[in-house]
Amino acid sequence: MKTYAIYLAKRLLQFVLVVFIGINLTYVISHATPIDPVEQTISALTSFGNTSPEAIETMRESLRELYGMSGTPVEQYLSFWSRIVVGDFGPSLSAFPTPVSELILRALPWTIGLLVVATVLAWLLGNLLGGLAGYYRKNRLLKAMGLIAMGLHPMPYYVVAFVLLVVFGFMWPVLPISGGSGIGVDRGFSFDFVYSVFLHSLLPALSLVLVGLGGWFLGMRALVSNIVTEDYVVYAELGGVDRRRILGSYVMRNALVPQVTGLAMSLGAIFTGAIITEEVFGYPGIGSLLVDAVHAGDYSLVLGITSVSIVAVSLAVLVIDLLYPLLDPRVQVE
Amino acid sequence: MTLHQLNNHLNSVPETAPTSPALRVDGLKAYYQTRWFGITREVRAVDDITLRIEHDEIYGIAGESSSGKSSLIKTIAGAIRPPLNVVSGSVNFDFGTRKVDLYSLKPEERTAIRWKHLAYIMQGSMSVLNPLRRVRQSFVDFAFRHMGLPMPAFLRAVEEHLLKLHLQPGVLDSYPHELSGGMRQRVVIALATVCRPGFIIADEPTTALDVVVQKSVLTMIREVQREMRASILFVTHDMAVHANLTDRLGIMYAGRLVEEGRTRDLFRNPRHPYTIHLIRSLPRIGDAEPRKGLEGTPPNLADPPPGCRFHPRCPIAMDVCRVVVPPMQSLGGGHRVACHAVTGGTVQ
Repeated sequence: MKTYAIYLAKRLLQFVLVVFIGINLTYVISHATPIDPVEQTISALTSFGNTSPEAIETMRESLRELYGMSGTPVEQYLSFWSRIVVGDFGPSLSAFPTPVSELILRALPWTIGLLVVATVLAWLLGNLLGGLAGYYRKNRLLKAMGLIAMGLHPMPYYVVAFVLLVVFGFMWPVLPISGGSGIGVDRGFSFDFVYSVFLHSLLPALSLVLVGLGGWFLGMRALVSNIVTEDYVVYAELGGVDRRRILGSYVMRNALVPQVTGLAMSLGAIFTGAIITEEVFGYPGIGSLLVDAVHAGDYSLVLGITSVSIVAVSLAVLVIDLLYPLLDPRVQVE
Repeated sequence: MTLHQLNNHLNSVPETAPTSPALRVDGLKAYYQTRWFGITREVRAVDDITLRIEHDEIYGIAGESSSGKSSLIKTIAGAIRPPLNVVSGSVNFDFGTRKVDLYSLKPEERTAIRWKHLAYIMQGSMSVLNPLRRVRQSFVDFAFRHMGLPMPAFLRAVEEHLLKLHLQPGVLDSYPHELSGGMRQRVVIALATVCRPGFIIADEPTTALDVVVQKSVLTMIREVQREMRASILFVTHDMAVHANLTDRLGIMYAGRLVEEGRTRDLFRNPRHPYTIHLIRSLPRIGDAEPRKGLEGTPPNLADPPPGCRFHPRCPIAMDVCRVVVPPMQSLGGGHRVACHAVTGGTVQ
């Protein structure tokens, strides 16, 4: 238990370090862009009508204060960190004066809802079918599925998304093709709203599952067809151990260890949003927010989204590292 | 044998004793058969093997690498998978309570006799236990369905079995990687014998161990055999192990049995030139000069030489050896040999 506590402390320290370095990098990169948000805001605010130079100067001062750009670079850097630890990324430039954190919080549930379901579903289906296909190599149905997976996997995501859009939105218009929910539907917790959200998420989720599934399927099938030649599987088969037990506890269980890591990584990556998905299906998530922010040069929003994503990915890796000794007893906690 | 001796012999056998041997292998041929783009390749790893193993006997098979020992033992254990196929011959077990012809059984019937009657200790015992399962779970997976006991009683029986083999029941709570190599090997032997099978097949169970651990594992195997009066088919290339453990010994060369007899007789009076070289090559303490090895390498089993397969390396090869396959012939006392030089074969 004591060794585990030391391991935990070490891993936590590592986590903090990774997040610190990552956010610093985004800070440096965003401050190195030639876009000056203060001047941009001023020009946007003063483009209609005359404003006196004194007023502009006052405006510039207060905006600099607001964006954390007053004082020396060191002071700027320190004020950036003092604000970021409490989750304050400043006001958004493009949606001035809404705070960045509010924009992110508004988009996050959409992205998380869609992507968690799609990622977990693709992972479960892909691994289950891939595992079966690796174990029952001669099954025709699973062989056919392997061919489909192999065909789908290398297909560019946007092609699949557009094919789905065309098929289910225009040729056979049964599903909504854009937005997160119906326009006229009240955003309360009512059946109509939930049903509308579900319908709207079907196409984007389907596109994500179709493309994600192939990778998991092929990976798992390859892992399993390696593991079935391992001595302990051959021996269990010779020993007449129950086939289902062999498939579950001997083959799948051993193959899943690396796949779980993959799942954690993709769950962490959710917080960047599925940019193409959200753009194609007009989904109001983090991905479209990020694209809009980049277009508008809204660097405090970009910084906010990147920081959230850095924390999420590192957190996912941390959680998986902490759980690993439970998944595989051979992982030594030092 | 005179009539008097024969009578005595028959009278000395108790009436209840099984009359057929524990294992009867007849004319067994098993080839690795592959087809690539219409080209068929056959590797004759097990070629026309006939042997008997009695009840309560440890039978050893010796031979150098690629002599087909492992293929033979896999075929006898029914543990073959393509491309290794049985071409002809039969494998018959007599487990006392039931007799089976292994290759006429349905797969599920074969599964049913495994572990209960026929245990198999596979080559590479280091990795035969699932790394993610505790040893206890492996015992449950392999043996629970055969014992017909409720779970607590089953686990007690397993612990008693381990204690009998001088293993601490605590190993049940370990994962395989937490055990040393020798310990793992002993656990695998305990796992293979927990159902008290009548026949145990062991493929190189001591090969990866150092001599000290080897000795304790061999002692354990012998104790298990004495206690359960099981028959053991034991394969290793290590002649010293054979000298210590086995009652009878068969020498394999290039997929064929070339000599067979009581282990003591084979070591004292080997007849086949190959056996002679095998035994002469064993170093003894006090040797003045290094022992000479045999020139050459075993033949390619995809294209074995005609006649006696040993003739290209044989120092006393005759014309007949290059043409006629020497048959196994008895020299009396259970000693059999397949060599024209010994049994006087001629070119017809």
